[in-house]
Amino acid sequence: METCFDVKNIDLFYGDKQALKDVNMEIYKNRVTAFIGPSGCGKSTFIRCLNRMNDLIEGCKVSGEIIKDGLDIYSPKQDIVDLRTRVGMVFQKPNPFPMSIYDNIAYGPRCQGLKDKKKLDEIVTTSLKQVALYDEVADRLGDSAIGLSGGQQQRLCIARCIAMSPEVILMDEPTSALDPISTSKIEDLCLELKKDYTIVIVTHNMQQAARISDYTAFFLLGEVVEMDETDTIFSHPKDKRTENYITGRFG
Amino acid sequence: MLIDKKRVKRNKALDKFFRGFFMAMAILSSSFIVIIVLFVCAKGISPFLPGYEYGQVDLISFLTGSIYRQDQGIYGVGFIIINTLISAFLALVISFPLSVLTALFIAKIAPKKLSAAMQSVVELLAAVPSVVYGVFASGVITGVVEWIASLFGITTFGGSSLLAVVLLLAIMIFPTLTSMSITAIRAVDPNLEQASLALGATKTQTNFKICLTAAKSGIFAGAILGLGRAYGEATAVAMVAGNKLFGPTFNPFDITRTLTSTMLAGLKETTGLDYDIRFSVGLVLIVVIFFSNWILNMVKKRIGRNSVA
Ligand SMILES: Nc1ncnc2c1ncn2[C@@H]1O[C@H](COP(=O)(O)OP(=O)(O)OP(=O)(O)O)[C@@H](O)[C@H]1O
Ligand SMILES: [Mg+2]
Repeated sequence: METCFDVKNIDLFYGDKQALKDVNMEIYKNRVTAFIGPSGCGKSTFIRCLNRMNDLIEGCKVSGEIIKDGLDIYSPKQDIVDLRTRVGMVFQKPNPFPMSIYDNIAYGPRCQGLKDKKKLDEIVTTSLKQVALYDEVADRLGDSAIGLSGGQQQRLCIARCIAMSPEVILMDEPTSALDPISTSKIEDLCLELKKDYTIVIVTHNMQQAARISDYTAFFLLGEVVEMDETDTIFSHPKDKRTENYITGRFG
Repeated sequence: MLIDKKRVKRNKALDKFFRGFFMAMAILSSSFIVIIVLFVCAKGISPFLPGYEYGQVDLISFLTGSIYRQDQGIYGVGFIIINTLISAFLALVISFPLSVLTALFIAKIAPKKLSAAMQSVVELLAAVPSVVYGVFASGVITGVVEWIASLFGITTFGGSSLLAVVLLLAIMIFPTLTSMSITAIRAVDPNLEQASLALGATKTQTNFKICLTAAKSGIFAGAILGLGRAYGEATAVAMVAGNKLFGPTFNPFDITRTLTSTMLAGLKETTGLDYDIRFSVGLVLIVVIFFSNWILNMVKKRIGRNSVA
């Protein structure tokens, strides 16, 4: 199994408040890795380390290494635009741009300088097909994306991410704002997508983690308590705290 | 018991009182507007009615005329309408890109301290009385215009010109446009910017493609406000327009005449028709502003369909 991210000794501070403590893990290619843990334990903070979105937060300091393809993504040699084109992200709240459905999906490739109309058409179509949204919107690609339902918007955001053909898709609670049907659509989508992509997903939903992930990491107070294959985590957790959390006896 | 019945009663009474109070204030202020409009209308329409005491004026030749000579009693404002539209629109064309870029810089690019300092300057500029701009225009802008004209070998009327009016108005509407744009850009959902950056867009691409696009409706509202100010500005404009007697003026170095400068010129020393006709000119100005706002609002609706702010 190939490693996608090799995370070594990550400490992260917001100002002088430590949000991540000595995080170590390997994230594998073409697998779904889930992060679980109580609110405020640092899941979002950590997933944002993987595409350096934390750079945007004032006073956020990261130390340690995250090796991707032999290069520490925090090293000065790492081009941040290049990193983000290879590591895409889907946010908790669907956030389509206030433009047409077509332009939303073409946005990323256009920013990379792609102008060829035919190629863009093709990217838009295949991306929408991959997230099973194409049939629903095929006749109104020129309409504003704001008019889509929440679940459609979130699938659009995933399509927008896929349009960049990234290697990794990071998802921070992508279904927390959605109804059960949209949620299960997106879960199916994750299983479908892992053939081509590496997926990292943050979720508060144990069943979701169990259903779709191959690996699960349990976070608590900024530390990774335990990380293992999902089956093992849910059937034979090694740490008492993990067991308490997944059985709902946390407190 | 948590709910005190007396208190609830008193709150209800208070609520009723304030509702009545605000209603009265609203009626009072709106009736002022109605009275003003009615007065202007009555005064402005009277010269065109038969039996007008200083001799009835023909409405069509007033609206389409291309000569305005109060000394000869010839009143035609057709060319003045065109002049007004030209000067306001050109001012907007110059000011719009500058103020949008300035706003983008202040809202998104400049470091915090510089941004705060620049924003105070913009707010200060908005508070400068127009007569001060007028003095500046007649002292400095006219000089600049004269110099530019001399490069083309053209002599001007001391710098008073269409170009001077346009530059003056461009400067005067700049603070309005800029601060409205800043507000609109700041109101753009930061999640959209994050999404853009996460897609590998650069900061500059994000600023232009996301922030400006999402803010365009608010920016456009600023443009409408600015254009309104440009149409209505009188004091400063009158100081550099030169009040040409015929037109319209298309040559930027030639003097011009706007509806406002026409209303203002010699207002204090005149009576009779020449006084009343200024109300008619004012009415024309109101109608011009009304129509241009109406058109711009339609445009705004069209371009704003995909806008959030
Ligand atoms: N921008 C920030 N500035 C300062 N502190 C922050 C910032 N973002 C997060 N934190 C803090 O870092 C800690 C971890 O937050 P994080 O958002 O990563 O938690 P989380 O595990 O994603 O929680 P949730 O499940 O509620 O989303 C929290 O204590 C939080 O208050
Ligand atoms: Mg979170």
